[in-house]
Amino acid sequence: MSVGRVVATELKPATPHQFHFWTARDTSIGIGAIVRVEDPADTERVVFGVVTDAFAYSDLATPLHDVVSADGDPERAGTAPTLRQEIRLWTAAVLRQFPEEPLQPVPLGRVLVASDADVASALRMDAYLTGTQPTGIPVGLYTSGGLEAPVYLDSDFLLGPEAAHLNISGISGLATKTSAVEFLISSIFQHFPAHRGRVAAVCFNVKGSDLCFLDRAGELQEEDRRRYERLGVSPEPFKRVRYYAPFKPDGVNLNTLRTHADLVGDVEPLVWGLREALDFAEVLLNKDDIDAKADAFIDFLKDRVVGQSFDDGFGNQHQVETFADLDALFRAILRGVEDSGRGDMWRTHHVATIRKVRNRLSNISTRCKGLVTDDGAVGDLPWGAFEDRGVYVIDVANVDPLGQDLVFARVVSKLRERLEHRNLGVDVVIVFVDELNKYASGDGPETHVKRMLLDISERGRYLGLALFGAEQFRSQVHRRVVGNAGTQVFGRMDADELATPGYQVLSPATKIKLATLPIGELMVRHPHFTQPIFVRFPRPAVMRGRDGVERFPPAEDLPFEDAIVRQLMKLDRRLKPNVLKDLVGSREQEDVRRALAAVRRARPDDVLAYFRTALGSKVAADVPRERRAVPPLSPISEEPY
Amino acid sequence: MARLPWLDAVLAAGAVPASFVPDASGGRSDAADVTGADVMEGSGLAVHELRHPPLAPSAVTFVDGIQRWAVVGYDGVVPLISAYVAAAARRRTGGRLHTVAEESRRVIVTAEGSLSPPVREALRRSGEPVVDLKDDVPGQPGRTLTAAGMRIERLRESVERAVAEPLADRLPEDEWLVVDGVLSNSKDLASHPRTLGLIKSHGAQYFTGEELRRALMLPPGHRTSVFQPHRHGSQAVYSWYVRIWPWEGHDLLYGLLRVEARADAESIARADAIGAWLVNERKPLSTPDARFDRLLYPIHDVETYLRSRAPLHLVTDPGSRLPPAATAATAATAEPGT
Repeated sequence: MSVGRVVATELKPATPHQFHFWTARDTSIGIGAIVRVEDPADTERVVFGVVTDAFAYSDLATPLHDVVSADGDPERAGTAPTLRQEIRLWTAAVLRQFPEEPLQPVPLGRVLVASDADVASALRMDAYLTGTQPTGIPVGLYTSGGLEAPVYLDSDFLLGPEAAHLNISGISGLATKTSAVEFLISSIFQHFPAHRGRVAAVCFNVKGSDLCFLDRAGELQEEDRRRYERLGVSPEPFKRVRYYAPFKPDGVNLNTLRTHADLVGDVEPLVWGLREALDFAEVLLNKDDIDAKADAFIDFLKDRVVGQSFDDGFGNQHQVETFADLDALFRAILRGVEDSGRGDMWRTHHVATIRKVRNRLSNISTRCKGLVTDDGAVGDLPWGAFEDRGVYVIDVANVDPLGQDLVFARVVSKLRERLEHRNLGVDVVIVFVDELNKYASGDGPETHVKRMLLDISERGRYLGLALFGAEQFRSQVHRRVVGNAGTQVFGRMDADELATPGYQVLSPATKIKLATLPIGELMVRHPHFTQPIFVRFPRPAVMRGRDGVERFPPAEDLPFEDAIVRQLMKLDRRLKPNVLKDLVGSREQEDVRRALAAVRRARPDDVLAYFRTALGSKVAADVPRERRAVPPLSPISEEPY
Repeated sequence: MARLPWLDAVLAAGAVPASFVPDASGGRSDAADVTGADVMEGSGLAVHELRHPPLAPSAVTFVDGIQRWAVVGYDGVVPLISAYVAAAARRRTGGRLHTVAEESRRVIVTAEGSLSPPVREALRRSGEPVVDLKDDVPGQPGRTLTAAGMRIERLRESVERAVAEPLADRLPEDEWLVVDGVLSNSKDLASHPRTLGLIKSHGAQYFTGEELRRALMLPPGHRTSVFQPHRHGSQAVYSWYVRIWPWEGHDLLYGLLRVEARADAESIARADAIGAWLVNERKPLSTPDARFDRLLYPIHDVETYLRSRAPLHLVTDPGSRLPPAATAATAATAEPGT
């Protein structure tokens, strides 16, 4: 049954890309509704459009006439026995025409609410939902006029290789950006086409506890369950989630909100040593620190020193594995140069350059304490053994910005390197990064992280690396990062943000809708959709961060001994806490930390024995003997002179 | 615009195309007769303030009609006129108007007997309804067109009656029927207890002297005494004037309505309430119609409805009335390279 009629005037003509239609006052049509227009003269001709603007007006010639007829009394205006004729006039943008050629103005035909099939056709989803290898990924439900039609994204255009990346923007707390991404990743995991291989997600948790409970079921309402069913997505938490978090500066307690006793066992420490840090020295050193000379010296260290036996030219042999080893080397070089008196150069490097690099590098383990250790211990992601449909959450929420940069740069570089060599374990990786305003701002300094994000945006799709980025203000994110995102998603937007030039293509009505979008509703732009489409998505089936923290409150930081015991027991549950406590109770914390790192690195069968060996025997401190005064051979005279 | 099939046939039979829309074809001519009236309320025509609460029917149906006509050809000096008349009734409930009845007719008006045989035959074969001006022998076009206009007006009135009378027959107890124009040309309407005729044009004169002065200088929110017009139409009706807008600064007839109702004591009893009701009906204003001071919005709405459904053009080529030679010359200068 028709709900409207296309109208065209000289001032408001119907064109191949836009048309106008009117409806009854009471109508289910609204902004974002998809409609179908039928040509009265040609039954084969059908046009689909999406409503982008709406107008209402009456036959009142001028507002003054309303004043006159009511004698200037607004109350009396409300008592008019007849209500004026008024119109609901809608503007719609053409989504698709059948036949597609010749492209002609929209016929002045009747307007119907689109059906499920119409929605699929209008959004050109039929191209990737049918066939032997469909690539549709449910993103939400198009809801209008009582219709709930699933909307699908094309996996080839979401995760590559045709296009890739997703960018989602909106007001914090109201746009439900994280929830949308959680649902979408879940949907991808359930619908990623088999012929495209294996897929995993790496999520950087950069604030609060947002992504800390992805393996726990969240509360769903009946409405959510119904939407899941309609979308063909099973409402369940992620099955394979692995959490990584650096230590706190104490080196034993994990720097994450997932520290509840029931959950902390799943969190792997993320700890890097000298080599890992040195590979990304440029992330850790600011622009002023790095010049060509310093750069050359760092390269020298990486290529010729770290991890190999090295002669400093002053008769000392060095095996640099840790920051401590590196510092010893620096000291030896500087002392050697000074003692030799042969000038200020050491192997073509000036002493001042060596001092600067020493100063910066030696400081790294202090600045990123907990993430970078100076004892060479390493805890890392399972490079080469990524699981299909696995989610790897890296919690850097409480890590200082420098550490976050290092984590991000290294993880993404490794992902890229592994995907390039096809030895990551999966074929496609989704990298979810929130706060792009911070990491890829449009007007901020050129940082290593921003360069990496640009690199993913521009070349990731060839590798199978898809960036899912989120931010509050899209206009303030680097143009090439958002521009390269094939799929753009918008939650509730800030009105000021909508006033920026990037949103000029949207009609005023669409902007208003965006500024007032309810929670759970998004506007989606996708390469196959010629116009933005509004969809509703169900609440993600995982526990929200806020709920998770209430249900599993983070544990207080453990005393040193208890933290060590927990770390060791995670490696071998048969260990007895009392035995371990006795073992570490009287030892220096630094020694214990080093021993624990050695165990974690070696993963021995007999954890206790290895730990005991690594800890070494206790060296008893020498008790200084009491010094007795020796009486003078001849007593000094009491005579002062 | 598609050509009128019947016109193609008569042109082929020798008629000459024409394109002329008479000035009066957009509206109606006034019944400009001079008559008298008997005052039925009190001893003489008095002025009454409308103090009663207004009548508030649960639903009201408004009836109006339109007529359009144009000379589309000539057979000799005999005009061939294409005419369209329509009427509609729109019922108001909850403040909104909805069409409950409508009727339209398209006719050819001509002096059939004066047409040349081929044209008459072509007209006959077209099967189109013809209104024959047989009593008006074609002479000067102006006289013929005046006669044609009156015939078309009568046709329009008949269509209005065809719409209104069945509605009046089945009008529920608490509803009213308001007709734009006189009631006295319909027995059914004139005798109906809840049907009103509203007259906006005041060509007919019922009073003289002081009574005329009282009638035409009515203050706003007042009415005259109820009177019975003499020899007005075929049916007896009661009537009274109501002023709905102050006339000062405009014209004596500004905001002046004449109401017709059943010739019955009940109409006298209801005159105040009906008058107050009509004053209330002045909002919303029926602008941009120039007659908004007397044209009630619901009547305006019916007219708008009818106009929106009327054929846009009654002539074959509304775009230009330039002579053929001038048209050709214009086309020639528009050609590239000339």
